[in-house]
Amino acid sequence: MSEQLTAPRFAAALEGLAHRVVAHPDGAAIEVEQAALHDVLRALRDRAGFAMCTFVTAIDHYPREPRFQLHHQLLSLEHRDRVRVQCTLSGASAPTCSDLWPGANWMERECFDMFGIHFTGHPDLRRLLMPEGYEHHPLRKEFPHHGIEPDKLYRDWDRKRREGWTETP
Amino acid sequence: MGSLKPVGPDQASDQSAFGFVATRTDWLINWGRKNSLWPMPLGLSCCGIELMAMLGPKFDLARFGAEAARFTPRQCDLLVIAGTLTWKMAQAARTIYDQMPDPKWVIAMGVCSSSGGMYDSYAVVQGVDSILPVDVYVPGCPPRPDAVIDAILKLQKKIEREDPLGRLLGSAPPIGSESGSGKLQFQPNFGHHKSGLDKHAHDPKARQAIGDPAPRRTEVKP
Amino acid sequence: MTTTRVFEYAPTAPTLDADDPLHGELLTLNMGPQHPATHGVLRLLITLDGERIVKCDPVVGYLHRGKEKSCETLGWHKFFPHTDRLDYVQPLTNNVGYALAVEQLAGIEAPPRAQVIRVLLMELSRIMAHLIYIGTQSIDLGAVTIFFYSFKERERLYDILDAYTGHRMNNTYVRIGGVYADVESGVESLIEKFLEDFPVALDEIDRLLTRNRIWYDRNRGIGVISREQALASSLTGPVLRGSGVDWDLRRAQPYCGYENYEFEVPVGADGDCYDRYLVRMQEMRESCRIVRQALERLKTTPGEVLIEDRRFVLPPKDLVHSSMEELIFQFKLVTDMRLPRAQCYRGIESSKGELGFFLASDGSSKPLRCHIRAPGLMNIQALPLLAHGRLFSDMVSLIGSLDFVMGEVDR
Repeated sequence: MSEQLTAPRFAAALEGLAHRVVAHPDGAAIEVEQAALHDVLRALRDRAGFAMCTFVTAIDHYPREPRFQLHHQLLSLEHRDRVRVQCTLSGASAPTCSDLWPGANWMERECFDMFGIHFTGHPDLRRLLMPEGYEHHPLRKEFPHHGIEPDKLYRDWDRKRREGWTETP
Repeated sequence: MGSLKPVGPDQASDQSAFGFVATRTDWLINWGRKNSLWPMPLGLSCCGIELMAMLGPKFDLARFGAEAARFTPRQCDLLVIAGTLTWKMAQAARTIYDQMPDPKWVIAMGVCSSSGGMYDSYAVVQGVDSILPVDVYVPGCPPRPDAVIDAILKLQKKIEREDPLGRLLGSAPPIGSESGSGKLQFQPNFGHHKSGLDKHAHDPKARQAIGDPAPRRTEVKP
Repeated sequence: MTTTRVFEYAPTAPTLDADDPLHGELLTLNMGPQHPATHGVLRLLITLDGERIVKCDPVVGYLHRGKEKSCETLGWHKFFPHTDRLDYVQPLTNNVGYALAVEQLAGIEAPPRAQVIRVLLMELSRIMAHLIYIGTQSIDLGAVTIFFYSFKERERLYDILDAYTGHRMNNTYVRIGGVYADVESGVESLIEKFLEDFPVALDEIDRLLTRNRIWYDRNRGIGVISREQALASSLTGPVLRGSGVDWDLRRAQPYCGYENYEFEVPVGADGDCYDRYLVRMQEMRESCRIVRQALERLKTTPGEVLIEDRRFVLPPKDLVHSSMEELIFQFKLVTDMRLPRAQCYRGIESSKGELGFFLASDGSSKPLRCHIRAPGLMNIQALPLLAHGRLFSDMVSLIGSLDFVMGEVDR
């Protein structure tokens, strides 16, 4: 796939946008700066034909700083190829891409839930998998596998239930 | 058979004829209950698929009178917790249990619902007996449908030994305190994990080590 | 290949009745997380205007078990049993997806015979998964008979897998670098017998459902999603193909030697529930074709089923019991296997869509990251789009036709 990244359509799409090509076993990825991330994604969608966003996720490099690295995997159906855009975040916030691909909405919600990365401009940034009111972000490296007070929310609910106050979950 | 008036155990001790009637009535009630269990299949994950297979044509749970699966807890007396229970789902499971009318029994199907199984993680309840009393545990991941049918037969034997009239008159302990390890329902196993120091709340050795009395066994009458 | 339609007219679309006394009075309805039609533990917060859905908010996560965190804690080999329980109606497909991703990261490839066995098992799993779809969708729409018919066939597949892998469900049969063991000779005849009988049973289900008036009216024109919407919503698999996009990873980016098999990719036209049903029915027939070819190939492809690369591949169990070196290798591989420092993504075509594993290794024995790209999550995300403005009774067909499994959605 790395030879495809030098193809004319990539050069035309990413013209004027700072990026770097990184080799990986499944092909190459484009590494960009956080400020250029949204523009690169838009250029790839509009000018290189990447009509589908396969996933958005992050990697936590704790304790290395800056710790979060954001990954967007894109798919082009007409050219039958994929590209991954990776971006090292300076803090814990990133621009949203759910305006480019509506399907990225829940992927970014999941990313927020698991890593606590705030996506600016996201229409509905809530927790996706963990319950509302949960305090931690489980996929951060400092979070232990067996959790911190995993039953806290249940115990609060259970105490109220025993006191006679019931609420359907 | 004379009078069918129910008698308490204090009268039954000196009036053997009435005791006979009470025993036969108990037997009749238990016979009716055990052969018409209505399961409430709480299919949470993989075990739910095997539960469907159990209701299906090959294993045919109708042979044991327990095929009338209802998806509302109000009409059921057997809660089958099939699969991994997470803390997010635990409130719903407890609500379902509370909504079931007495008498009610619980089968924990699969290792996940019995003990947390392979998921020793931040989201999974380490055994549903942390939140509600369980009568029969079925191991397996998922258990074969034969194993769950065996659990239902074991539950039927357990129902045979119950004392419905005594419970009605207050001489037998209420449901929930004697079935399963209901004692644990008031202390979710916070702080004790299977890994690490092996201080799991369901491990009897760990329980004794942390100064807890051993769980009471259900007494088997001869 | 385009699926054929039997009726050319659509049932009357529901119109908003201005005389409806309940019109304008919004009602919020909670469906789930324990509901027979939600196929697991999905919760839907639905706002109704009369009988029409104006807003639908799915709440997922009731089966979130922390698999991605488990992978980081357990290591590469010990994560295999967890992949089975992702989409538990087709455990072997998930196994293969994870194995392919790890193999790509390690730079190895399974031997040809193992690839044939993988294809064979994946296609049997696809039939199993689609049978679950047919069974549950029909029981939700009132055709209880089909549930029994489809589960009868599933039981036969379970018997085959039981004889093959030793367990009915959650087989954990695939390994990094191949499969656990070679196929036994008796199983081939079981599969051949199944291949003889299954098309007959499928035709029977077809005759009972496809031209059935109730089935047709409750599926046709319901949950229409256009090609552009489906692409933008990241939908894959039968849902995308139902909308007329000819995209199948077995064809577009072949793995396990799928480029050598002859099969057609069924594609729908309108993108409604009925098209998705037709696509899945046709996919089961195509899967039978692939299984038949794989059985033929199995006879002409001798050789090992597991490569000998003791950096990444577990030694066979009989050698572990008899050889000290293999025992040490086994111990080293399970406790401390190190993959090269890299990242890679591999997607395969499961019965629900593109199932992908994004793996990142930092060169140590613990994975840095394992992200599972679940097709079912994207299907649920499209639910509000499909349900908007429809009748509440259509929700059951929608949930059934999107065909998600909560174990995979929540991970």
